[in-house]
Amino acid sequence: MNILLRSWSAYTRATARWPGLAALVPFIPVIALWVAVTESGMFPRAFLPGPVEVVKAFFSLTYRGILPDYLQDSLVRLFTGAALGMAIGIPLGILIGTSKWAHRVSWPILLFFQAIGDIAWLPILLIWFGFGLTTMTFVIVYTVLFPVVLNTVLGVESVPRDLARAARSLGASPARVLWEVTLPGALPNIITGLRNGLGYGWRALIAVEMIVGTSGIGFMMFDARRSGSVVEILLGMIILGLLWYIVDAWILAPIERATGQRWGLVTS
Amino acid sequence: MKTLELRNLKKTYFDPYAGSHVTAVHDVSLEVQQGDFVSVVGPSGCGKTTILNMVAGFIPHSGGEILLNGKAINGPGPERGVVFQSFALFPWKTVLDNVGFGPKMRGVPKAERDRIAHEYLALAGLSHAASRYPNELSGGMQQRVGVVRALANHPEVLLMDEPFASVDAQTRMTLQEELTRIWQERRPTVIFITHDVAEAVFLANRVVVLSKGRVLDQIEVALPRPRVWDDLIEDETFKRLSAQVLHMVRSA
Ligand SMILES: Nc1ncnc2c1ncn2[C@@H]1O[C@H](COP(=O)(O)OP(=O)(O)OP(=O)(O)O)[C@@H](O)[C@H]1O
Ligand SMILES: [Mg+2]
Repeated sequence: MNILLRSWSAYTRATARWPGLAALVPFIPVIALWVAVTESGMFPRAFLPGPVEVVKAFFSLTYRGILPDYLQDSLVRLFTGAALGMAIGIPLGILIGTSKWAHRVSWPILLFFQAIGDIAWLPILLIWFGFGLTTMTFVIVYTVLFPVVLNTVLGVESVPRDLARAARSLGASPARVLWEVTLPGALPNIITGLRNGLGYGWRALIAVEMIVGTSGIGFMMFDARRSGSVVEILLGMIILGLLWYIVDAWILAPIERATGQRWGLVTS
Repeated sequence: MKTLELRNLKKTYFDPYAGSHVTAVHDVSLEVQQGDFVSVVGPSGCGKTTILNMVAGFIPHSGGEILLNGKAINGPGPERGVVFQSFALFPWKTVLDNVGFGPKMRGVPKAERDRIAHEYLALAGLSHAASRYPNELSGGMQQRVGVVRALANHPEVLLMDEPFASVDAQTRMTLQEELTRIWQERRPTVIFITHDVAEAVFLANRVVVLSKGRVLDQIEVALPRPRVWDDLIEDETFKRLSAQVLHMVRSA
């Protein structure tokens, strides 16, 4: 008991010093289980390779330049789609959030199209745009758009009315109220929307790459299935998880915290 | 010289759920001289906030006139500064930038508006808090910033709606004393809304008593200044005036 307690306190102290450690340690039992299962000989190696094979595949694919290229393709697609989605979604959300009229007109349409979902568009997109970048970008923009719009509306509507009134009585024009009050007031929600949108977009992208892609992580995994290379499939899955963890925990979450908590908008 | 004039002001709200009209302000006429300090008291629901919101230009009036220097007001404007019960400080701006917001809207360059903001923060004893964010301040400090932010924009009229209602009793007394001191120094025209009778009498030159959307009576407060609670709490005139206003409000 005493030893457990002491090692736990050592662990909390270590993770306080190296926060990255806290993210890695929980995976130790998962990897151990993986090793145990593969080493037990329950499954043939080609059916379920171990971590060592996956790491080897990582180095060989990196060395041959395939992995970096595919990774870059996937990320560029994701960020182009996300940027477009934001460029459309934030102004749209502000319009809907500030104008009762726009709200009434657009809300049913928004909910209708939100329900259709990203992948459900693929059949018609393939007919319209074929197998290519346009189709992929459309799907990502579509997935990113809804969380951004809905959260922006939420953010705009959550800005206390007195703040806009205060700004007006201090001489701000309606346009400056938008810039000085509405936008910063809605920012924490906008970032939450972006965070959700990127998460959905990342998943949608992989799915789309499997179907229409000629490159990218999703394509790599689906292509590996054709040649029966489980190692590459596992590698793809691990990269998806790792990459998202890095983007979310190291970039998006800190931005979200920095805006919301510093201003006391989010009680933390 | 009269700055602000309300003539037969009226406000009718439409209640969409009941489908009927509610008259919150029936017929209010009021004159406020330049540099005067007027308190408005009345029981809850008598229309105090409604009147202030109309004068501020936040909501349209249904009848009568609101004249500032003889001209009808039209929407909110910087010549009518407002101090809110909710403080309404911008959470994403530092205290300094909150106070400098009005000058910024007027196009005053950064260095000059920082100088103005520092000057007004000093007036409220808040120089040390200039670089902090509103949520890092106590309620009393936040409302000092609220008052000073409105003043730094040099409004012709300062409109205050129960600004000290949400701070503790001790802090409220300090804020009231500070407000009278700042008012004496800068002499803005003030309309101060409250349901606290003692506060109304302590602060103002004149107390307007409202009842059900009408002016019931107006009482002159000829107490000497500077006013401090330690003196006035025992003062016979203060006690008599407070009692007089209290009876009126309670019978209103
Ligand atoms: N937006 C609104 N729609 C309908 N009725 C309203 C609206 N705002 C206020 N009223 C009504 O108008 C009347 C006056 O309200 P007001 O807020 O001006 O009172 P008040 O004197 O400020 O009260 P309190 O001391 O409680 O703040 C009340 O009967 C209230 O219900
Ligand atoms: Mg009120």
